Amino acid sequence: MDFFTSMRISASGLDAQMKRMNTISSNIANAEVTESADGSGPYRKKDLVLAAQTDRESFDEVLKGQLDEHAQGVQVVEVYEDQRPPRMVYNPSHPQANADGYVAMPNVNPVEEMANMIAAQRSYEANVTALNAAKAMALKGLEIGK
Amino acid sequence: MIENAGFDPIIGALNTSLNLRLHNQGVISSNIANADTPGYKAKTMDFETALRDAIGADNGLKVEGAKKRMTDPTNPEIYDDPDGVEGLDGNTVDRAREMARMAENQLMYDASAEMLRRKLGMLKYAITEGGGGR
Repeated sequence: MDFFTSMRISASGLDAQMKRMNTISSNIANAEVTESADGSGPYRKKDLVLAAQTDRESFDEVLKGQLDEHAQGVQVVEVYEDQRPPRMVYNPSHPQANADGYVAMPNVNPVEEMANMIAAQRSYEANVTALNAAKAMALKGLEIGK
Repeated sequence: MIENAGFDPIIGALNTSLNLRLHNQGVISSNIANADTPGYKAKTMDFETALRDAIGADNGLKVEGAKKRMTDPTNPEIYDDPDGVEGLDGNTVDRAREMARMAENQLMYDASAEMLRRKLGMLKYAITEGGGGR
C-alpha cells in the first residue's frame, strides 16, 4: 500500500458522496414536477446504491493482491427510483388532475431530502479529512531525508 | 528489513512502524469511504501486534513476549472490527471512532517520521565527523 492508494480510496468516497448530493438536488428541484421527461407520470425520488470496491488501479496491486478484501473504495452501482406511491393532492383546476380532481405529485419528502443532504455533507467532509491526513503524512515522510 | 538497516536497529524498527502506520491509514480511509455502504463491515488492524511480530524477528531489539515469527510488515492481519455495532443497513462503521483512530494514526506516524529523521541526522553528524569534516 502506498499513499496514493489511501488517497484514491478517499477520492472514491468523495465521488460517491458528490453523486449522492446530485440525486438529492435533483429530488429537491423536482419536488413539484407532475410530468417527468419520459411522460411516465410524476417525478420519482431517486436514490443511490453504494457498494464497496476493491482498489485495483495499478498492475502492481493486481500482482500482489495485497489489497484484496481489505482496503476498499466505494462506488455507486445503481441509481434507482423510489417505488413509494405518488402523493395525491386535490386540485381540480390542474390540467393533470384525474376524474376525481386529484393530481399525482412526486413522492419526494423534503424533510427526508434535507436530512439526507446533511448526512452526505458530513460524509464528504470526513473523506476530505482522511485525504488531508494521508497528504500530511506523505509530506512528513518526505521530510525524513532532510 | 531491520538486518539491512545496518547502523541502528531502531532505524529498521521505525521503518517498519511507518509502513504499518501507512497501512493503517489505508484501512481507516476505506472505512470512512464506506461509511454509507450497506452491509460493509468496518476493518481494523492491531498495530502493536503487527509491529511486535515484525520486529520480534530481530534479535537486536528485545521485545517482551515477541513471537519468533517473520511477518511481512507491509501485510499485517486485517480483520472485521469486533467492536462494530451493526446498523439497520448492516454497516458497522462508527465515523467518530474512525476519525479518532485516524488522528491518532497520523500523530504516531509524524512522531515516527520525526524520530527517524533525527536518527538519520545523528548518523550524518557522525559520518561528517561532527559536521566539520569535509
